[in-house]
Amino acid sequence: MTAVMEERPSAMARAAAGDADAFALLVEPLLDPAFRLAMVMLSDRTAAEDAVQEGSIKAWRNLRRLRGDASSLRPWFLSIVANECRMTRRRHWWSVVKMADVQRGAGADPTTKVESDLHRALHRLSPEERLPLVLHFYLDLPLDEVARTLGVSQSAAKSRIYRAARRLRSDLTLDEVF
Amino acid sequence: MSNESFRRDLNRALEGMSGPPSPALSARVRSALSQAPPARTAPFWIAGLAAALIAAIVIGVFAVANFNRHLTSGVPGTLPSASPGVTATPAQTPPDSSLPAFVCGSSAPINSQNGPVVAFIDAVRTGTHTGYDRITIEFQNGQPGSIELRTQGTSMFVQGASGQSVTLMGNSGLLVVIHGADEHTAYSGATDFKTNYAMLLEARQTEDFEGTVQWGLGLSKSACYRAFFLTNPTRLVIDIQAG
Repeated sequence: MTAVMEERPSAMARAAAGDADAFALLVEPLLDPAFRLAMVMLSDRTAAEDAVQEGSIKAWRNLRRLRGDASSLRPWFLSIVANECRMTRRRHWWSVVKMADVQRGAGADPTTKVESDLHRALHRLSPEERLPLVLHFYLDLPLDEVARTLGVSQSAAKSRIYRAARRLRSDLTLDEVF
Repeated sequence: MSNESFRRDLNRALEGMSGPPSPALSARVRSALSQAPPARTAPFWIAGLAAALIAAIVIGVFAVANFNRHLTSGVPGTLPSASPGVTATPAQTPPDSSLPAFVCGSSAPINSQNGPVVAFIDAVRTGTHTGYDRITIEFQNGQPGSIELRTQGTSMFVQGASGQSVTLMGNSGLLVVIHGADEHTAYSGATDFKTNYAMLLEARQTEDFEGTVQWGLGLSKSACYRAFFLTNPTRLVIDIQAG
């Protein structure tokens, strides 16, 4: 792990200088969380992988816009992938198709009543409401990274997480969420 | 339900919605990055100047294309026909399960009645998915006049304008012929994709001349394929079946 962390600044410098392999090295560990984020927003493996691929290319082409060091890369990259998912959903045909898929998936997996209720509640949320939950609970990002990914302040990010979590379980307190 | 059990159940539910990515995703992204233009590092004023020049060129080309359109209206054949492998798909595209079946031979041409005289290609992408490799050719202004797909036993293709032959990676090939299209007005991306996917090893533009665009696909072996159009934006999707 130490070796990897030490390698990153130099990979970042090489990527910034136009080295695609160096950039690929940087985004490689981010593909898994990016895919999971895209799946929760799109509910379609092919579309999620397309969104991650397109997001990677956009990140590569706009790398000079990244402010900060390598630690800024994750929230920046995830925000690009989230935007890519939004663009995918905006296409008219997509919203028609995916509505049916989400409902079909909702009844498929749960094995217990609690999970079933949670599952159904989760599917009732919009992708935009699911996004802060994915970032905070599922990807376990620190609050500042959640905020940067969402493009809002930390207090606004906290509010979005709490609000979405309360739609899953109305009796949750702030302390239980954070 | 305690805080911990809420987190655990929520994560389980989210895991049920997601799951891990395909093992091929990493290679796919790496391949896409190697084909994408490098990060832009030029100063802003150069980018601005370039944008102004490109805008002037595009306006000029559109003006010429519009003039040519008046001269050549009615040139592409527009007889409506259906082929088993190429299917026009409306905007409300059905999910993956209702995509056309894979076919294994050359397809009859499919013609478009309502498309523009010249459809401008503005993007070409490749990707690999579970069960198939994909190339997508996107059009800026509508569906082109006609599309043909021709299977062949080698990966050697004849370049349309020069007549010279070029051999792509792989042992088999699929030629995509697009009439009523051009790839030099709105497209500035790569014209040779070395993907190294399981089936689609290389995709290369072999012609962009007088309203005909051809792409040669180098395949690892003979394969079945399916081709169809999606809209918003208009794009030709060709899937090469794996296995």
